[in-house]
Amino acid sequence: MKDELQNYMGRPNRYNNIDGTGEIGMGLMALCYGLLGYLQAVLPKNSVRSHGAASMVLFFAGVLVMLGLILWVPKIIKKHVTWPRTGYVAYRRWGKTWWTAMIAAAVIAAVLAAGVGCLRRFDESHDWMSLMRVVAVAIYVVGYGYWIYRMEREHPWKWLLLLLMVLGLLAAALTAPADFVGLWALMLFFVGLAWLGSGGATLYLYVRHTKPATLEAE
Amino acid sequence: MNEQLRAISELDRVIHEPGRLMIIALLAVVKECDFLYLLHETEMNKGNLSSHLTRLEGAGYVEIEKTYRGKLPQTLLRLTRAGRAAFDEYRKGVKAAF
Repeated sequence: MKDELQNYMGRPNRYNNIDGTGEIGMGLMALCYGLLGYLQAVLPKNSVRSHGAASMVLFFAGVLVMLGLILWVPKIIKKHVTWPRTGYVAYRRWGKTWWTAMIAAAVIAAVLAAGVGCLRRFDESHDWMSLMRVVAVAIYVVGYGYWIYRMEREHPWKWLLLLLMVLGLLAAALTAPADFVGLWALMLFFVGLAWLGSGGATLYLYVRHTKPATLEAE
Repeated sequence: MNEQLRAISELDRVIHEPGRLMIIALLAVVKECDFLYLLHETEMNKGNLSSHLTRLEGAGYVEIEKTYRGKLPQTLLRLTRAGRAAFDEYRKGVKAAF
């Protein structure tokens, strides 16, 4: 009974992505990162990207737009699609679980940073920026796997999408004729589209299987 | 009466009812939610859910706020401090009993 109760108490957290908005947000973030990387690669050397302050302003403007999209798009979907259909939930922050997740994320980030530092120290000829780019793509792929495992028990087809994502990245790495930065931007676009597609399909299925609530006395 | 039976007999009857247990379990995890969400998650009918919420409100475990989201009426529900404490006690009681 205790395990069933614990499992039942996990339902509100899984409800947070019943409409695919989590994946849509992650997909938008990946697309924005890819776009920024692509712009870095294609803008001429004497353009704004080489002018110290202006390039920083451009970069931060891009990051702000990205953050705005990630926060604003899911909220709009929830407000106009999800909450009228299956109800509104506000989640607790600053609880024990939240702090545990934040501390775990900080520890993982510190371990990764230390690992990257060690690699730099061992072999100065490696391009560490390239390594960071590879890590970024890997995080998106591994993150998707973890997302399905924790949140999406009702959608087993997403495991197939994860497999297609990995195969697509391998195919791009082996066949796409581009320099590393161009290839990385392409991979990030692909991963972002996969996340976005996954979220869009989840949203479509959610809208298809639920109806807006009728207005009656509660 | 042995310890296990005593633990079972001392379980909070307000929470121990299956419908109310589902409601409390969901509210324990969130800051607040609305009536429609509980209706969707518990799969009860409106009358049944209303009745359980009234019982929980009477026991001081749940706070009910009637408000509006735009022009639409909305009923918001939160677990009170007493409700959270009672649920924690209930879970300890179940663990002791089983």
